[in-house]
Amino acid sequence: MPRRVRTLILVALAALLLAVWAFPVLWALLTSFKTERDVLAYPPTLIFEPTLRNYRDVLFGSASLLPNLASSIIVAGVSTLATLLLAIPAAYALARLEFPGRRVSGFYILATQMLPPVGLIIPYYLVLQKAGALDTYWGLIVIYLTFSLPFAIWLMVSYFEDVPREMEEAALLDRAGRVRALWYVILPQVRGGIAVTTIFVFLNAWNEFLFAVVLGGNRVRPVTVAMFNFISVEQTLWAKLAAGAMLAMAPVILLGLLAQRHIVKGLTVGAVKGARR
Amino acid sequence: MVRDQHQPGSHNVFPAVINTRSSRKSVSDRAFALLLFLPALVTLIVTTSAPLVYLAWTSAMRIDLSMPWRSGFAGVDNYVKMGADPRFWNSLWLTLVYTASTVVLQVTLGLSLALLVLRIPRGQAALRIAAILPLVLAPVVVGLFWRTLVLSPDVGLVDVVTRALGLGSHNWLGDPQLALISVIAIHTWQWTPFAFLVILASLSSLPPDVFEAARIDRANAWQRFRHITLPLIRPALVIVVIMRTMIALSAFAAIFAATGGGPGTATEILNLYAYRTSFSELNLGYGASLAVVLLAITLAVSLVMFRVRRAR
Amino acid sequence: MNSPDAPPPNPLAARGEREPSASETGEKPRARTAGRVSLRGIVKRHGSFTALHGVDLDIEPGEFFALLGPSGSGKTTTLRIIAGLEPHDAGRVLLDGDDVTAREPGERDVAMVFQSYALYPHMSVFDNIAFPLRMVGAPRDDIARAVRDAAAKVRIDHLLERRPGQLSGGQQQRCALARAIVRKPRLFLLDEPLSNLDAKLRLETRVELRKLQRALGVTAVYVTHDQEEAMTIADRLAIFMEGRIVQVGRPQEIFARPASALVAAFIGSPPMNLLPAEVRGGALHVAGITLPIERPLGGDGAVTLGVRPAALRIGTSGLPACVELVEHMGDTTIVDLDVAGTPMKLRTDQAPAVREGDEVRVSFAAAAMHLFERDGGARRDP
Repeated sequence: MPRRVRTLILVALAALLLAVWAFPVLWALLTSFKTERDVLAYPPTLIFEPTLRNYRDVLFGSASLLPNLASSIIVAGVSTLATLLLAIPAAYALARLEFPGRRVSGFYILATQMLPPVGLIIPYYLVLQKAGALDTYWGLIVIYLTFSLPFAIWLMVSYFEDVPREMEEAALLDRAGRVRALWYVILPQVRGGIAVTTIFVFLNAWNEFLFAVVLGGNRVRPVTVAMFNFISVEQTLWAKLAAGAMLAMAPVILLGLLAQRHIVKGLTVGAVKGARR
Repeated sequence: MVRDQHQPGSHNVFPAVINTRSSRKSVSDRAFALLLFLPALVTLIVTTSAPLVYLAWTSAMRIDLSMPWRSGFAGVDNYVKMGADPRFWNSLWLTLVYTASTVVLQVTLGLSLALLVLRIPRGQAALRIAAILPLVLAPVVVGLFWRTLVLSPDVGLVDVVTRALGLGSHNWLGDPQLALISVIAIHTWQWTPFAFLVILASLSSLPPDVFEAARIDRANAWQRFRHITLPLIRPALVIVVIMRTMIALSAFAAIFAATGGGPGTATEILNLYAYRTSFSELNLGYGASLAVVLLAITLAVSLVMFRVRRAR
Repeated sequence: MNSPDAPPPNPLAARGEREPSASETGEKPRARTAGRVSLRGIVKRHGSFTALHGVDLDIEPGEFFALLGPSGSGKTTTLRIIAGLEPHDAGRVLLDGDDVTAREPGERDVAMVFQSYALYPHMSVFDNIAFPLRMVGAPRDDIARAVRDAAAKVRIDHLLERRPGQLSGGQQQRCALARAIVRKPRLFLLDEPLSNLDAKLRLETRVELRKLQRALGVTAVYVTHDQEEAMTIADRLAIFMEGRIVQVGRPQEIFARPASALVAAFIGSPPMNLLPAEVRGGALHVAGITLPIERPLGGDGAVTLGVRPAALRIGTSGLPACVELVEHMGDTTIVDLDVAGTPMKLRTDQAPAVREGDEVRVSFAAAAMHLFERDGGARRDP
């Protein structure tokens, strides 16, 4: 097959791919600026009179998403912070230090990552209900740690392992001591890894649904749960749903676009390195 | 830590030393290591393992929040009931179909696309950005997107296309047969980019000289793929398969948002069955036992996969 | 002039240089009493594998001491044990008489240059060199002065603002050196510091290292697998094989009297030729002929005969040999010979009149002969 034709086919396929993956988001974006009536028009119109009404309603209307955005920020933010504070030292210890039970602990952490969430949600629900802690921020933050922590540790271990041992040894010989060696020499080396880990942990926490819907309530209701406000038995508020979804996903989409190189590196580093172990 | 320092044959003039560097250093180093590690470990144990014990306990109970007078200890009753529960076997079957098909589709599509994209170095940047979009979205939002904007009869994208092609309008999520396919499509759509990106990275890192040597040895494209490319990217493929299988087993939000497990039980994988039993029907004891079974299956599958990975 | 058993010439002497005296460098030579290293019975195990079988060593203050041996022989492990980076299973490490076995690496007043240099990539060259002084809380002005001093000594004072990633291999190595000397430690440890440099740079840096050590007067322990390197720059060296020290001494001594066949086969370029032979009735039987030797040979038995390539002569009498290859190296020629199945090499400054395939005879002086026990390889001194 002549080179030109082949390249053309490949480019067409690539364009199709782009469309398939990017289109839904773009279509939702488009829809969010339509009136409900325009949405139902057939054939679907690309040219219409855009309106900001949906966004206004979704943000400032009676079913405003603002408290939900606040919930999401608080839960995702705090759990991410807690995760980093716990995971980074633990990962360093796992990667570079000797202590009793190191190997077993490593397996254990790997194993907890494989837990199906539904297995955790039932006991948590029962316990929190008895403790009257349903619909609280703490309840959610704690259970979010169950998926963030093992993942963050696993990621950071691979970044710590990339730092040459000799660099740490040089710092020790330079009389830095373990703590200062960690602070002045090693942590700066894994800055990129910390950024990637933060992004992934925050992303997963922001997007979490099951835990949020079961353990949350009226007070603590992250955006992922609030999406269902726009769907009821009678009707679906298409345009409003699109606007709400865009708002709910705006942070993660922005994060994804800005940090896409980091994200791709994180995915592939974590995966390909994991293969080596 | 006393060690016998008197080695036969060595002219060791000095007496046995108890305080070798190994013992003294270890104590302070170990304390430091544990100080760094224990907070995370303890947090994990308290937040994951303790609840699991409670889960197992709950599965041996009969907790019926809708009929509280019937609650009490049930022993293995829940599990016995499960064996005879057709809805359970249905969910098991659906789980198998769902997991197997999504993983196979993701890997095949991801691999094919990665191979194609390799040939277009200039398109790769744009494609990577496009690939990121499905991955960063919340699965629940993806499920809702597809349910409303894509798969809705009449208004949805797919329906518009099929109507334009003359294939008619269908109830993609309301028809029991189509629903399973739709749900599989949704999951595949969202997660294929992961396989794509990982495999692409692996392919890009392969040394070109191996392929040149194969070309000189007169291997054609298919042979080069089968005997050189595939074995070299095996580690990446294995990791993708393992991770995607684990995710598929515990997939929840997208299906919940798109079909809620229905119509009826047409898309009710074990995960969803356990959820519905516990929180829609408020039968937490039985729901717990279903969750335990899912846990056991996940554990078994992961053990098998890791064993396979290490064996080769 | 070039006697067969002469050790390789000292590059400093060849260049007509001599060690710089104290008044010339303006550096007060450290009192040569600090920096004595003693190892007693060091044993290191990895599971069931023993890396070091009871190593004993004494290094004098101010010495440039090399640890030489093939890969995996335990020399780097020993160095790291001296540094305190590697725990060991038995034995003691003494520095200046103090038992430092239990002390942390930072507390031993020891500086190390790693094979990979281990520079801190996120810090400038200045900060890299200043780091050890910062860690002990030296005042800022003192640090700045000391850093510039150290950098000047290794001639990188114009690179202080750069990052290690922006330096060449040789410059990185000097930065690592500067970081080591800025602390004025009592002991330098160097782990194959030249192996990442290209051949020419390696030869130049070798000499510079030696001069630097002399100027500072600090004891240096230097690990290498390159025997030529060790022989040319060390005051004394220890040869490691399979976790044991098999010989310690000055380069000339080791060259002249290798303690075993293994050592003999390791030292020299090309290394000593070794042939199986037999002592019987006061004569040496080798390669099918009997050599009457006017030298006491010791008791009868199976031996290994060792002769250096430079000691062989092609002539009319001696061992029968077949010429396999003639390597013309410019001012030297190496002739690869086959002597009754055993390969041997001959080295000469004059181009020999032989061609491949020629059958010749090679001989050597009795004084140039080394005998080792066949069993165990120990040197035989009658």
